[in-house]
Amino acid sequence: MIAQRLGLAAMRSATKPNAFFSQNIPRMVLASAMSTSQARLISTEKLTPEQGQQILVKQRLDRPVSPNLGIYKMEQTWFGASAWTRITGCALSGAAYVYFTAYLASPLLGFHIESAALASGFAALPFVVKGAIKFALAFPFTFHFINGIKHLVYDLGIGFAKKQITRGEIALWVSSILGGGYLAFGL
Amino acid sequence: MASIMRSSVLRQTALAAKPAFRNNAVKAAAFHSSAQRSAILPPGPQRIEGTVNDPVPIPNPSAVDGSYHWTFERLLAAGLVPLSIAPFAAGSLNPTTDAILCSAVLLHSHIGFQSVVIDYIPKRTYPGLRKFFWWGLNLATVTVGVGLYEFETNDVGVTEAIKRIWKA
Repeated sequence: MIAQRLGLAAMRSATKPNAFFSQNIPRMVLASAMSTSQARLISTEKLTPEQGQQILVKQRLDRPVSPNLGIYKMEQTWFGASAWTRITGCALSGAAYVYFTAYLASPLLGFHIESAALASGFAALPFVVKGAIKFALAFPFTFHFINGIKHLVYDLGIGFAKKQITRGEIALWVSSILGGGYLAFGL
Repeated sequence: MASIMRSSVLRQTALAAKPAFRNNAVKAAAFHSSAQRSAILPPGPQRIEGTVNDPVPIPNPSAVDGSYHWTFERLLAAGLVPLSIAPFAAGSLNPTTDAILCSAVLLHSHIGFQSVVIDYIPKRTYPGLRKFFWWGLNLATVTVGVGLYEFETNDVGVTEAIKRIWKA
């Protein structure tokens, strides 16, 4: 930006006429020259509508991006429950979409992903891996489930006080992590 | 002659001697550039319909797009709360409950994915991509629906399958 300012200032002073340059020129000439050599700092340019449109498009690309995720506090955007409800929901539904599409195509592709094969394959895994896979499914479920209920309560117009929101957020994270852990390791 | 000259000489001298003019130019330059912030989602290609002076078009008010859709979404979500607990809590296998649960989850997922597509692929900026994802999602949902039907008829059912794998 500073470079640009310097450039602009230099440009402006270059176009500015110097009052002391023409001291020795006869006064008449000086006068006539001066009256026509006014500094025109703004020059206009003929543009076609298409060129104008292109300039507009270029200007719009330089505008601030909204919502600009980089400018908010970490906890307000990155741990916002609403966003994570969407993320967890998409993860679960995405997994289900992938599985059932694969199930439909499995006779053609020769996969064995029917429930019996999956159950026997899953049983062969060590306890920690089983628990981790279960937690990876159970935590998104509990989070989406609990915050889904919280949002249904919000939709009734209840619970919008700042204190309630903060407490609800903490309760949500604690209960969903504990709930996910119970579903993964307790059952 | 002196009077012709005086005004222009004065003007030129004043122009050269006045530092305020230059300061203003520098101040103005500050408005012409904005500092670049790194954006996680950079702006897409700019499509400007008409001229800048055209008003923003007002979308057709439709209850089906708006309030009915919203209410249906909430009813479905609220209905899923008991539906997703009941079969596991009851511990019994009921094909009808299972089918209702599967259809409700499928619809809920479809509506959820639809809102994701609406939010992140704006029609104004990416009309082609929007259409592609919209119809791709419809195709995926129909495929998954058929897959679910196959699973329900040929396998043990979703509730029972989850239970068996979970206890494996």
